[in-house]
Amino acid sequence: MLLAVLIANSEGNILVERFNGVPVEERSHWRSFLVKLGAENLIGVKNEELLVACHKSVYITYTVFGDVSVYVVGKDEYDELALAEVIFVITSALKDVCGKPPTERLFLDKYGKICLCLDEIVWKGLLDNTDKDRIKRLVRLKPPTEF
Amino acid sequence: MAQPLVKKDDDRDDEEYSPFLGIEKGAVLQEARVFNDPQLDARRCSQVITKLLYLLNQGETFTKVEATEVFFSVTKLFQSRDIGLRRMVYLIIKELSPSADEVIIVTSSLMKDMNSRTDMYRANAIRVLCRITDGTLLTQIERYLKQAIVDKNPVVASAALVSGIHLLQTNPEIVKRWSNEVQEAIQSRAALVQFHALALLHQIRQNDRLAVSKLVTSLTKGTVRSPLAQCLLIRYTSQVIRESGVNTQTGDRPFYDYLEGCLRHKAEMVIFEAARAITELSGVTTRELTPAITVLQLFLSSSKPVLRFAAVRTLNKVAMTHPMAVTNCNIDMESLISDQNRSIATLAITTLLKTGNESSVDRLMKQITNFMSDIADEFKIVVVEAIRSLCLKFPLKYRSLMNFLSNILREEGGFEYKKAIVDSIVILIRDIPDAKESGLLHLCEFIEDCEFTYLSTQILHFLGNEGPKTSDPSKYIRYIYNRVILENATVRASAVSTLAKFGAMIDSLKPRIFILLRRCLFDNDDEVRDRATLYLNTLGGDGSVVETDKDVKEFLFGSLDIPLTNMETSLKNYNPSEEPFDIDSVPKEVKSQPLAEKKAPGKKPTGLGAPPTVPTSAADAYERLLSSIPEFASFGKLFKSSAPVELTEAETEYAVNVVKHIFDRHVVFHYNCTNTIPEQLLENVSVIVDASEAEEFSEIGSKPLKSLPYDTPGQTFVAFEKPEGVPAVGKFSNMLRFTVKEVDPSTGEAEDDGVEDEYQLEDFEVVAADYMVKVGVSNFRNAWESMGPDFERIDEYGLGPRESLAESVNTVINLLGMQPCEGTEVVPTNSRSHSCLLSGLYIGNVKVLVRLSFGIDASKEVAMKLAVRSEDENVSDTIHEIVASG
Repeated sequence: MLLAVLIANSEGNILVERFNGVPVEERSHWRSFLVKLGAENLIGVKNEELLVACHKSVYITYTVFGDVSVYVVGKDEYDELALAEVIFVITSALKDVCGKPPTERLFLDKYGKICLCLDEIVWKGLLDNTDKDRIKRLVRLKPPTEF
Repeated sequence: MAQPLVKKDDDRDDEEYSPFLGIEKGAVLQEARVFNDPQLDARRCSQVITKLLYLLNQGETFTKVEATEVFFSVTKLFQSRDIGLRRMVYLIIKELSPSADEVIIVTSSLMKDMNSRTDMYRANAIRVLCRITDGTLLTQIERYLKQAIVDKNPVVASAALVSGIHLLQTNPEIVKRWSNEVQEAIQSRAALVQFHALALLHQIRQNDRLAVSKLVTSLTKGTVRSPLAQCLLIRYTSQVIRESGVNTQTGDRPFYDYLEGCLRHKAEMVIFEAARAITELSGVTTRELTPAITVLQLFLSSSKPVLRFAAVRTLNKVAMTHPMAVTNCNIDMESLISDQNRSIATLAITTLLKTGNESSVDRLMKQITNFMSDIADEFKIVVVEAIRSLCLKFPLKYRSLMNFLSNILREEGGFEYKKAIVDSIVILIRDIPDAKESGLLHLCEFIEDCEFTYLSTQILHFLGNEGPKTSDPSKYIRYIYNRVILENATVRASAVSTLAKFGAMIDSLKPRIFILLRRCLFDNDDEVRDRATLYLNTLGGDGSVVETDKDVKEFLFGSLDIPLTNMETSLKNYNPSEEPFDIDSVPKEVKSQPLAEKKAPGKKPTGLGAPPTVPTSAADAYERLLSSIPEFASFGKLFKSSAPVELTEAETEYAVNVVKHIFDRHVVFHYNCTNTIPEQLLENVSVIVDASEAEEFSEIGSKPLKSLPYDTPGQTFVAFEKPEGVPAVGKFSNMLRFTVKEVDPSTGEAEDDGVEDEYQLEDFEVVAADYMVKVGVSNFRNAWESMGPDFERIDEYGLGPRESLAESVNTVINLLGMQPCEGTEVVPTNSRSHSCLLSGLYIGNVKVLVRLSFGIDASKEVAMKLAVRSEDENVSDTIHEIVASG
């Protein structure tokens, strides 16, 4: 299960969060834990360089992309490798929508599009679409090219 | 020229303006009214939906009324033909997740979209419907979903398949009917469809082992296009392998060739998944491991941190069971010590510590020293624990490892980290005699500058026990007395006790210890003064230097055989008067013992925290208690005391439990009674035991309890004789008999006259396990070999249909009452067979070892093979009899 996808700005404010199967009362704990993890480790990290951590049976993969940092949390079959795949899809979709590693402003300008992309990528805790061109077409309600 | 200007503007905007600046829920809800406009402005509507999404993603909640209102307006947007808006509408409907009553509003629109000629409408409508649907609606749309699974458009097919995965949780019986369509989808040319179909089909069939096996067999032979599906297939394959076991004739493992083939796949994730699956095979051989280790080794030098992490994490696990297989990777692993990612570095270090040989220890320690300064405490603790086990593995290397521990002890660090180091040093001192002196000195130096009172007092206590036994005890005195001068009252008091222990053990040091203790008489803390006075008096500090007598040593070093909670209650009840408090009046019944016993096995070995003598001290306490009762003093050595068995329900008037004490020719039932009624005083309390269902036992005496006041536990005993050395069993029924006197709650005084009364207690049994003491062995294999096959008895048993394998294993362990060794009492989930190793001491002090092999079949029938070795063939036979009759 993909427990959470979280995108925050450089100050640690949440821009997007999508939890799956995480009780409401535990969410704020995760939120602050991830932001703290990022604040401690993401300084000076290159765009899209992946960082990884694990806590008991839960894995966390995170990275920085432009002004935003992206965190994905998973367990069981969503181990560090699967999460790396998820984060790769998310960053390439972001790159596609924003045209470059986004500034916070650009990210918010494209907010609606980004939400649609995430909707195509993660579906209730399962990884769905992985190909950025396909996602690009799907959010515009166009059938994928291979079809 | 204009372009740079524009860009500059943009940059400034970035800093100052966010499109959601000052966004407010109320205002957005107002804006949402545009959804109701007769002339829809698609762009405007999309913007409003974006704002709603932003609010939802920020954790804003909508009241039911608000959500319903927005939801209703959103449904109007289905009228628009704007594609971008339609996509947004699908998303916001999912996010708003309305309650079941309102869903009906959108279902008709969604059903229409589901049959639309536009494929993408179909796909999205399916996804939304599955998110908001319930059982009744699902039966209505099932036909369309089945069609969608085999739709030509992969997006539609995937949408229906993933919907199936989600719906399987809520409506399994419906989704299970789609097997045929899903089976067809597995053959799809589209990679994602194949992946989703495989996942769904496996979930549908996961409880049917044969079907899963067939699925795996057919797919491993065919082609799987998507790497993700390939990973799934590898996982399902390892599950099938786990359940089928090795082919006993050829020694081959089914499907191993497939896994090995996957190691040459072009996708990294498939290679990795296969490597991990191979390393996790049960009973994997070195030959099977080698190719997997080779690819993992390549990953160790990958440029991607995630791959390095995954590889080193897997190798770390392999190192626990097959350290030799991992040694080839040591050079790559050593270069990872300097990896930027500290998780990777720590895993590399701990793996190296597991696989390293004696000659590489020194080099490794040098590398670790540089590494320790820049990792967090939590990682350091992992390293310290790894070093501790390394040191126990190579005791000859204690010098460099101990030095390392003492060096890091001097550096900065939090309490948990320091505690881990101190615990490690203490364990090394206990297990490696040569390390004792240097270890103690390291601890002494540490307390010179230790900011944690808890650690200081624990070390002082340990020093008091171990220091006097060293070759030159006097060198520790300075460190201890420094504490009296420099530390807080708690530490000072501990230091005084430690000084006294040195004084008690070493006569030559006594005069000097007395001088130091006398100085403590002027301390400004009363606990310190009290302790100093007490020790001066008990050790004879009035000037005469005499040999400390046994009682004093017992007082200083012995364990307090009274439960602290009982002591606390008694002290609270004690009224200051002329009569001094009598410690013998404190009841010794251990109320919370079952709980403590339950917790104990899970505990990691700790250094100072939990002295390993706790269980024996309870046995000691019982032994002392029983030998102090003249009637039982002649029974000889106590063989075993059982855990207390409750004879009353919780919260009844009288709480009674029984401890069964087993002697060679006798058993003593020790009833712990508590009166929970404040208005009653019980006198002449005894238990009348009916042993008619225990023929081999005959009652020879009892010891009634004179008085049982409210909430003060008391004890009464009944003794039985039984044939010598025979594990006699039987059932005993019990009646509590007493004289009850009314107590006036205001004065606490009891009336003179009492009434005789009885209270029925539950029955209990003396069982075979009562004649067995749990005694573990550190290396079962060695113990088994050295016991030899002379008195070995092997037989097989059918245990009939059981709940699970774990339950069967547990039942047999409890039946025999033996100590499980090497963690074999834990049965991995889903395993079909299990081996369990037990060890114990049978009455008559006969060592017994047992190997149990269990197997369970599909109908949950459990078969068991029992092999017993013991020092006495009769005992081996008895163990079989116990199992046969159990």
